[in-house]
Amino acid sequence: MGVVETSILNKIRDLARMPELVDRFAAEHRLSPNVVFGMNVALDEMLSNIIKYGYADDAIHEIRVRLSVDGSMVVTEIEDDGRPFDPCAAPEVDVDAPAEARKVGGLGIHIVRKLMAQMDYTRIAGRNRLVMKMLLEQGSAERQACN
Amino acid sequence: MQLKERSEQDVTVLEVVGRVDSVTAAELGTRLNELLASRERRLLIDFSRLEYISSAGFRVLFLATKQAAERGSRLALCGLSGKALELFSIAGFLRLFKIATSRAEGVVALREG
Repeated sequence: MGVVETSILNKIRDLARMPELVDRFAAEHRLSPNVVFGMNVALDEMLSNIIKYGYADDAIHEIRVRLSVDGSMVVTEIEDDGRPFDPCAAPEVDVDAPAEARKVGGLGIHIVRKLMAQMDYTRIAGRNRLVMKMLLEQGSAERQACN
Repeated sequence: MQLKERSEQDVTVLEVVGRVDSVTAAELGTRLNELLASRERRLLIDFSRLEYISSAGFRVLFLATKQAAERGSRLALCGLSGKALELFSIAGFLRLFKIATSRAEGVVALREG
């Protein structure tokens, strides 16, 4: 109960389904806008990375996504059969570099690391499994006031 | 994502409504590119109705700063708050832009410079 599971194909356009899935999950658990924001960003960053860089062939692959609540944590899990890739071990990017020397590569993983309370990566039976956890925070699902 | 444009004094205001992610960022990038390639010398991007932004969005904003610098155009952001503001800070992007709290302040800042 309360767990959302889905599969997408390794096509960027398939990511368009994610926000709706997150909204449905968030409504059920009455998650705060901040948690919804974090989940959406984390899913976009990690799934787009897998789709763009994860596969050595042009074949169709399935990527599994699972959203759940475990005690005081909101858990976002991604499983794929792409190349082994541990985002927890990826090098840090220098976001303080001057504008001329800035690179945008690696920024997505940097952002997700900062947004998540915990990230665990495992490689099991030829599959990458990434578990990302945020503190459960409930609150009004209404959009914050704009100016 | 929806893009809304209007002109306020000599400043073009581009309002970004909704999500800027891997699916939508290209559309934002294309529009920024078109605006900066044309006559726009002062461009204010209003994020007050931004739902979220991922690195795909930061990438197109980064390219826009380079294009603006090359053409001598001025670029500013307004309307960032809460988690979106935090994300710009995490990404190290607050230093790359002139940041205004409101649209009115952004328009004034771009006209003064």
